[in-house]
Amino acid sequence: MKTDVMVIGAGPAGLSAALAANQGGAGVLLIERESRPGGILKQCIHDGFGIVRYNEKLSGPEYAFCDLEAVKSRNIEILKNTFVLDLKMKDSKFKLLLQNPDKGVFPVTATSLVAATGCRERTSRQVFIHGDRPAGIYSAGTAQNLINIHGYLPGRKCVVLGSGDIGMIMARRLTLEGAEVLGVYEIKSEVSGLTRNLVQCLEDFDIPLYLNSTVTKVHGARRVEGVTVAAVGPDYSPLFGTESYIPCDTLLLSVGLIPENDILEPLGLAMDTSTGGPIVDQQMMTTIPGLFSCGNATHVYDLVDHVSESGATAGSAAAGYCKKDCVQGEIEVKAGDNLLYAVPQRLVPGKDSVVYFRSARTMDNVLLQVEAGEKVLTNKKYIRLRPPEMERLVLEPLPAGLEKVVLSLKEAETDA
Amino acid sequence: MPETLMTCIQCPLSCRLVVDTGSGELVVSGNQCRKGEEYAHDEIINPTRSLTSTVATIFPDFPLLPVRTDGEVPKDKIFEIMDIINSILVEKRLRPGDVVLEKIPGTGTPLIATADMREL
Amino acid sequence: MEGGLQLVKKTLQSKGFPQVELSERRGAVVLEGEVQNWDDYLAAGYGAVGYGFRGVVNNITVSGLKNCFTESRPAVKDLSLDSSEFDVVIVGGGIIGCAIARELSRWDLKIALLEKEDDIAKHTSSRNNGMIHPAMAVKLGSKKHHYNLRGNRMYDQVAGELGFELEWPGSLALLTKSWQILLGPLAKRSARKKGLHGVKVFSRRKVKDLEPNIGDEQRGAFYMPESGIVAPYKVTVAYAENAIQNGARLFMNTMVQGFVMEGSRIAGVRTNRGIIQAGLVVNAAGIWSDRIAEMAGDRFFTIHPRKGVIAILDKKTRNSQKLILGRAQLNGRSHTKGGGLTPLIDGNILVGPTATETPDREDYSTSAKELQFLEENHLPLNKALKKDDFITYFAGTRACTFEEDFIVEASKYVENLVHAAGIQSPGLASAPAIAVDVTDIAVSILKKKADIKANPNFNPRRLEAPNPGKLGLEDRNRLIAANPSYGRIICRCEMVSEGEVVDAIHATLPAHSIDAIKRRARAGMGRCQGGFCTPAVLNIISREINSDITEVCKREPGSEMIVGRTKDKARAGYEN
Ligand SMILES: Cc1cc2nc3c(=O)[nH]c(=O)nc-3n(C[C@H](O)[C@H](O)[C@H](O)COP(=O)(O)OP(=O)(O)OC[C@H]3O[C@@H](n4cnc5c(N)ncnc54)[C@H](O)[C@@H]3O)c2cc1C
Ligand SMILES: Cc1cc2nc3c(=O)[nH]c(=O)nc-3n(C[C@H](O)[C@H](O)[C@H](O)COP(=O)(O)OP(=O)(O)OC[C@H]3O[C@@H](n4cnc5c(N)ncnc54)[C@H](O)[C@@H]3O)c2cc1C
Repeated sequence: MKTDVMVIGAGPAGLSAALAANQGGAGVLLIERESRPGGILKQCIHDGFGIVRYNEKLSGPEYAFCDLEAVKSRNIEILKNTFVLDLKMKDSKFKLLLQNPDKGVFPVTATSLVAATGCRERTSRQVFIHGDRPAGIYSAGTAQNLINIHGYLPGRKCVVLGSGDIGMIMARRLTLEGAEVLGVYEIKSEVSGLTRNLVQCLEDFDIPLYLNSTVTKVHGARRVEGVTVAAVGPDYSPLFGTESYIPCDTLLLSVGLIPENDILEPLGLAMDTSTGGPIVDQQMMTTIPGLFSCGNATHVYDLVDHVSESGATAGSAAAGYCKKDCVQGEIEVKAGDNLLYAVPQRLVPGKDSVVYFRSARTMDNVLLQVEAGEKVLTNKKYIRLRPPEMERLVLEPLPAGLEKVVLSLKEAETDA
Repeated sequence: MPETLMTCIQCPLSCRLVVDTGSGELVVSGNQCRKGEEYAHDEIINPTRSLTSTVATIFPDFPLLPVRTDGEVPKDKIFEIMDIINSILVEKRLRPGDVVLEKIPGTGTPLIATADMREL
Repeated sequence: MEGGLQLVKKTLQSKGFPQVELSERRGAVVLEGEVQNWDDYLAAGYGAVGYGFRGVVNNITVSGLKNCFTESRPAVKDLSLDSSEFDVVIVGGGIIGCAIARELSRWDLKIALLEKEDDIAKHTSSRNNGMIHPAMAVKLGSKKHHYNLRGNRMYDQVAGELGFELEWPGSLALLTKSWQILLGPLAKRSARKKGLHGVKVFSRRKVKDLEPNIGDEQRGAFYMPESGIVAPYKVTVAYAENAIQNGARLFMNTMVQGFVMEGSRIAGVRTNRGIIQAGLVVNAAGIWSDRIAEMAGDRFFTIHPRKGVIAILDKKTRNSQKLILGRAQLNGRSHTKGGGLTPLIDGNILVGPTATETPDREDYSTSAKELQFLEENHLPLNKALKKDDFITYFAGTRACTFEEDFIVEASKYVENLVHAAGIQSPGLASAPAIAVDVTDIAVSILKKKADIKANPNFNPRRLEAPNPGKLGLEDRNRLIAANPSYGRIICRCEMVSEGEVVDAIHATLPAHSIDAIKRRARAGMGRCQGGFCTPAVLNIISREINSDITEVCKREPGSEMIVGRTKDKARAGYEN
């Protein structure tokens, strides 16, 4: 099999990429390892998706449905239950070995590749929770899948560790489905998900949120019987004497998402350690020509609308690449003072670009500056920035010849 | 102090609203759009929420259908409505937007499907 | 032995334990009394070694240390095995018990293996480094050395017959001081004496050529080519399955609680499922092997657990290292193999183990301190590794005696009892050889009473389900065409197909829990730790063994994963 553009992953990013590549005149093959397209949206049955694109609060499956209908209407081929066994480059083409139950193992050659592989959750081991490993420890996403797709209740008395969005949303889902959520424990001094989720998922249901505290131990040999929680100091280590024991049968973890790029790493592309994803330019092209990344595989977005936008950008650039109409970005974008990260990390001059960034901490009345050397290119004021809330910024085309632009945040002088 | 602080949940911007009822009228500040003002009014007078959940189906290949209220329902009725939702059994393959329940008893709001049951 | 007791008394006095009472029982020295803490308990035990006694029975109590230790016991209680009769009853389904069952199945015998857990290899045999040591770090003349060397030499054949993966990457014992290279000739001579081949001394340059990511402080290494790696739980499963295929019976959730003695013979084995008549009993109970000996009135040794914590790194690290890396242990008195970085047969890198004495035999909890130790001590051996690469970590306990050697022998006082006890590291490497010897001992005892013939149907090859990942393209496609479930990947990190999970559920040794499937098919062992495949695996188990989803367990009964269903009310009407 041969194709111009191969898209891996039929979540919102991959669907938009496939559609845009098709609209750009390229032949497209879209593969998805699960039996249904839609990615993680299939299990995100809560609403709040599509506010930017449709000015409506759709649920995850509805949002995915819209894109899927568009993809189907253009007869784009989707191979489901299809897994990438191997990926190599030869003569600047992408050589993939795929497998599915219908065709067995088969090779595909693609001129351009879009990786829209989404993200996975950090595990209990990665946040170094100690104790034995009884049943009843779930990542919030696994619990979401069990409840929303299968109708299985993973527990009746739950403690949630981490105040990420999925964790808070699951606290509400569990409560609605008849389980008791005893509390959400967050090691940092502020909630790590969106404030609206704090209001509508926790406060609405009187679920307590404990900041500056964490779970230090899981008890129970077979099923979770309880957890020890403790307050933490400024260095996040538990404070002696603050431990208390909470009987429960389930510990849910919502401790972060990690972009999934494992199938790409053997190709030797440059990664950004602060996003966990590949380094891309504003066309979403990585440091390997013809290889694009989009959606949560690039960095974890807050809004699916922006995930779709990145997919569409990647898809149309990939189609352009097949027509030799795509150059690689070489101007470096640096996340300077008070920025956690900025994406894209490279820019092609002479083209518009959408830049996403997160602040490194909560800041009020701040000024964002984009500088090239001594010259300030853009200034923008923000009332409030929080790390969990990603900002989107449209940059004017840059002149050729620049080496680097720096984004930084400066606190305005307080006059009180 | 007839001032109430709240966070607007209409979009991820999460504006911090200040609602002043001192003058006998509701005066909202801190919002970045009209929705914030409307939200504050509702929140003080009659708080409502949209509710999402799932309903059971008879299809083993699609055992649960995601649903939502097509509009907001009174916040204090949410558990009552969950009881109703929990007793629904869907016997047809529905698509997003299809009506599962014309009017949720006790409200005027319909319950609609949000997933495509033909997509297996 | 009066003189011996005197000498022990003197030693213990000088170590500050005048209160310890000594006596002799069947050639072993028995210690009684009370000490302040576990370190003292150990010091007293070690102090009694080396005065001509068969072993040390350390019955000293530790004040303040209550008997509140972790020990899992089967939940079931029935009489399903009551009055059953077997020629041989093996206690313990670790690598040792399973290998013995397989070797014994060469003979025409009724064999029962009893395991208290719901699956085999749940204790030390799945909680170790998976290394086939080259027999360098063991003392010449010890049983450890004898069995390690022989076992090492047997692995190629056993792997061929039983169909488990085995590789010989070789190991480097790294040297941090330049002068240590001068010890090269000495090390080589010692290696020759111990029967090793091909041991070499490598300069820093040579090491760097072989392992470009080696830590900067390394000055050179001793290279031992005869160091191998296996997946220890897979070896255990392979042995057990071949034993079953050759007629042995395995009984899980069956715990030996005592013996019915008739004079100096074991007549019956008391279990939670009734009393089993046994012609001969093999003690392969690992960390509990001293308790089994005690039940037969034949305890002449003491097991004191030594915990080892291990961390597993993401598979993407595997290309950063080829050989097994450890620090050379030049002081010779350390009781551990030192630990380091071991590439795993399944493609990860293993960090560890640590070595800490603990009174609690089945306490497998880990602590931040132990992880930090691994991070600081072992990770730097390979500069490409970071703490972020840890995907999981766990602990095991070594079954150490005070003599620090294996016990592989017929009981001196009970006619029909054979011990394979105190099998600490390198027990995995030694297992094939230990099993052969235990079988010889057992058969010669049984032959005294009856004529024992070879098993005419014995097949040394294990029959196993296909492994699509190991097939060539054409064969794999043929397999998927015949059964598409081999083409449906459900565990994305380890690329395990639905077909392989189904095979594990229905294998010779069936796997019915999430963890058992993990050990057989690797579903859930990867970087996401089951986050994505758990719902699918739950459904497949429930479907294949026809049990309700709320009954599917992570491991033994009591570890159910799902507590109920939503929307019961809606379905109740429909399903009735
Ligand atoms: C568990 C979880 C829960 C979430 N819940 C929420 C939420 O409640 N609200 C919210 O706003 N955001 C949520 N998110 C964030 C959400 O992921 C994004 O909003 C959006 O869905 C990301 O889209 P995507 O297309 O980048 O990734 P995904 O939706 O994850 O889609 C990626 C697709 O790629 C497929 N794929 C990956 N690798 C391969 C491969 N090698 N071969 C073939 N196919 C492959 C996957 O199966 C998947 O279908 C959640 C994320 C996770 C991980
Ligand atoms: C951290 C660590 C790393 C190691 N690394 C290596 C290595 O790299 N190479 C190597 O060669 N060796 C290594 N070892 C040693 C090796 O793991 C052991 O020697 C080996 O697994 C011992 O096997 P076993 O069958 O004797 O014990 P186990 O595997 O513990 O089996 C004993 C079984 O007996 C059962 N049992 C106990 N009491 C009863 C009862 N009353 N009734 C019924 N059943 C009972 C238990 O449930 C258990 O399953 C390591 C050990 C540790 C702890």
